[in-house]
Parts: sequence; structure tokens; C-alpha cells
Amino acid sequence: MTYLRAVDPFPLQSADHNKLHEFYARLAAGRLSTTRCAGCGRAAWPPRGFCPECVSDAFEWVDLPAEGVIHAFTVQETGLPAGFDPPRVFAIVKVGGHRIFAIVRDADPAAVAVGSRVRLAPLRVADDPKGQPRWLPAFALA
Amino acid sequence: MRRVALVGAGVSKFGVRKATFRDLVWEAGKACFDSVPGLRPGDLEGLVVGAVMPERTAFQSHVSSLAAEALGIRPSALSARTEHMCASGTVGIRYAYAFIAAGLADLVMVLGVEKLNQPSGEEAILNMGAGVDREWEAAFGLTAPPCFALAAQRHMARYGTTEEQLALVGVKNHAHASKNPNAHFNKGATLDQVLCSRMISSPLRLFMCSPITDGAAAVVVASEERAREVTDRPVWIRGTGQALDGFQLTSLPEDYAEWPALGRAAQSAYRMAGVTARDVDVAEVHDCFAIAELIAYEELGFCPKGEAGRFVADGRSDHGGDVVVNPRGGLIGCGHPLGATGVAQAAEVFVQLRGEAGARQVPDAAIGLTHNNSGMGEHVVMIYGREPA
Repeated sequence: MTYLRAVDPFPLQSADHNKLHEFYARLAAGRLSTTRCAGCGRAAWPPRGFCPECVSDAFEWVDLPAEGVIHAFTVQETGLPAGFDPPRVFAIVKVGGHRIFAIVRDADPAAVAVGSRVRLAPLRVADDPKGQPRWLPAFALA
Repeated sequence: MRRVALVGAGVSKFGVRKATFRDLVWEAGKACFDSVPGLRPGDLEGLVVGAVMPERTAFQSHVSSLAAEALGIRPSALSARTEHMCASGTVGIRYAYAFIAAGLADLVMVLGVEKLNQPSGEEAILNMGAGVDREWEAAFGLTAPPCFALAAQRHMARYGTTEEQLALVGVKNHAHASKNPNAHFNKGATLDQVLCSRMISSPLRLFMCSPITDGAAAVVVASEERAREVTDRPVWIRGTGQALDGFQLTSLPEDYAEWPALGRAAQSAYRMAGVTARDVDVAEVHDCFAIAELIAYEELGFCPKGEAGRFVADGRSDHGGDVVVNPRGGLIGCGHPLGATGVAQAAEVFVQLRGEAGARQVPDAAIGLTHNNSGMGEHVVMIYGREPA
């Protein structure tokens, strides 16, 4: 018997699985977006299903800038989970007043610094079980 | 509220164990019962099991009932499992404490257990990603090391903390573990070995990190009346505090070198216990990574903010210093079987305050503290005393 590993590390992103599917639809089109509460006007990161400030669940989607600045980062060289390859640059990116956690793709770790400018570079990951493409909000050095 | 005490404690061997989930429950449970002569499983009214991911690592849910049956405990007042990632064990002790203090139970075991190692090391690490946000963090391959690496980067940039000072936490805790037969590591480590060990996530190197470890630990928690019946040396729970800043990395304070939730949890516990940081003789802090121990010195009040690097370098957190931190070897030296860690910390304070810690005894320890966290923004602190508050 094969030693089985049954785990999908990526979120289901389609409309029938995820209230935030609009985020992923926009991401697939190269746009970074989030939710803004229609009640109190606060924009959240990450997008959310109801507002923790005013408890309204009425929200609209707003685009965020495609460029940001690295606020903090680390390079993982060993000990990554199965399916993820080193070296991997994990970063906190400041975009339009939000802090966003992501990876910096395809970067020479030595070229990454706090203050480096980065631009949105959506990362295509494994398709979902129905064959729909999936994307994560990654960045690359600008 | 009624007074509550620990009356027994036991720990399994920690390490990469050729053992089943149940074997680990048996080992810690047996060691715990052996510490309380005359106590039988049938005397206990309840069991709380701290366990994080047996569903993935042992394909087993329903573990509190499994453990109760394995141990011969027939719960009549309390049976529950706690899952709060790396703080699951201490969260379990708080449940038992609250039930007993409220008069809903008198004698309860808290057992933490985790079987993390898998035939594939990469799978064991993959499972650890269950502890961060799947959709916004773990999908990128995030596990704990890069999170704490961000804190280390920031502490170094802001306060001038050095790689050598981070390494000295590893040296101290590996040295302490060499005196603990139940620790994952027993060989110690030199400063050079720590500084030359392989890079995990910059600036954290292998010997500045806790390993993936299997193990279990158990304590028996009792009301004052029952405690005095079963032992003449109870170890009293004097205070407890818990506070959270956030779950996702981007929900935490912007400066990752600041852990205000730990400060708040500590102040709650000190206030309740009627003690201050200066009164603490022995502390088991959550050194999942060396930087976590340094920031804990500061947030717990052992030293001012920014001075933790010098505090460890000057030996003030070792035997002969201000407070002995992690005499059992901490998570770096003992390993970190998630759900077991908080209970193993309590078990160490139990033997330290009773003067039973052997080669690693802190002389005349009267006040002990444990700090258990689940991520950088979620903290639990317990304070124990040889005398009640």
C-alpha cells in the first residue's frame, strides 16, 4: 500500500466555495483588491466577510496599488513543507497603507532589502479539483 | 475562588520516538501517577488533554476519551480536549484550574501529547503549516520559523541584538538539556556549533530552533482539600493570565520585536499571584526559537526592553543569575511536542519548587513561572508558588 498524503495546501477560490471569490477573480486578471465596508468605509486586509468595527456585512471591492515596499523579510533556506522549494523569500509588503504577507517570487535573496520596491506578480499554483486555475497574491522585485 | 495546586507531574522521554500516540499517553500518565504515591486512576474526576494535530499525525480524533480509557480514568466532572496550537497544554491547565477553583471538580489530570514525526520529514513540516492561516499564509508554504525570523530581524535592527546573543540562548538551553534525561538532545552545543549550524530562516540557525519532537507530559491538579490529602508538598497555582494581539502576521503590532500581549498576560498573572518579575526564581519560557526567549525576558519584566541580548550574554538567565530560565532545556533542548510543551513546563516547575529536580535544581526555588505561546501574538502565563497566594 502506498503511503498516502491527502492534503491540498491551497484555498478553494471559486464562487461556489469561497465568499471572497471576487478577490481571486480580480487577482487572476492581475489586480490586487480588498473589501471596503459599506457601513463605515474601512478597508480591510485581508478581505473579510463582515466588518469587525461596525458589524456590517455589506462591502464593496476596491483595487489596491500594484506596487509596494518591503517592510520586513526573511529567507528560508531549509525546513520548508513538502511541495515548497528553497530558498523562499517571505515578506511583509506595505501596499496602500496595508501590510500584506506574501512571498517575493524569483528573487535573488541577496538583492532583497527592507525598503525594496516590489510589484504584484500573481503566482499560479495547482488547479483546484475541478481543474480551475488558482492564484496567490505574490510579489516580485520592481 | 478556591485554592488550587499541582500534586503530581510526569513526563515521557521526548525525541523522535518509535512509539504510538497511546504509548506516549501511557508513559507520561504512568510517570505522573508514580509521583503521587497512593493515587489511583479511579480517584480522578476528570481529564483534559492538550493535543494539536492527532487527526493529521495519528489519524485520531476523540483523544481525551482515548487517553482517559488508556489511563483508567473515568471522568465524572470534566472531560475535554484543548487545541490552541503550541499553547494547548497550558490552556488545558487553565481549564482544570477554573473548574477546580469554581468547585466543579476536585481532582483532574491534564495531559499534553503529540506524535509529530512521520515517515517523511517533509510531511511532518507540512503538518506544522496547519498552525498558521491556510488561505493567507500557509498557502505560501509558511510555517513558524519565518514568523519568528521576522521578529529576530527587527530586534537586531532596533536594539543591536547580535547573532552571537541569539546563539547563546541555544548554548544555554542545550547545556540545560544535557542534564535532563527526558530531553530530545543530551549532548550540549558550543557557541561555534550553534553559529555554524545550518540556516533555517535568516537569521535563525538550526540550534536556535526547537526540533520536531514526539512526547507527552501530565500533571494532577487538585483543590486545596484534596491536595493536602494526597501530598504534604503541593505546588500552588498563584496566578494566570492570557492575552492575544492577533492571529495573522499582519494583524500583529507593526514592530515584530514588540509582543504587548505577553506583557499583558504577565501583568495579569503577577497581579493575581501578588508577586513581581523580581520574585521569580525559575521560569519555563516558550523558546520555540531563540528570539522568543529574548523577547520573553523583556515582556515578562526580567530586563528592560531591548536589553535581552546582554541579559543572556551576562549569564543573568542561567544558574547563578537573576532568574534561571528553562532549566529543563526549554523547547530548543527538550523539543516541542506541541500539546505536551505547556504541561512539561508545569511539570518542571513542579519538581523545581519541590526541590526534586536533581542535577538541574535551582536552589531554594519558591516562585516559578511558565510562559507558553501560540505564535508571536498569543500568550499564556502561569505563576506557581511553594506557598499559596
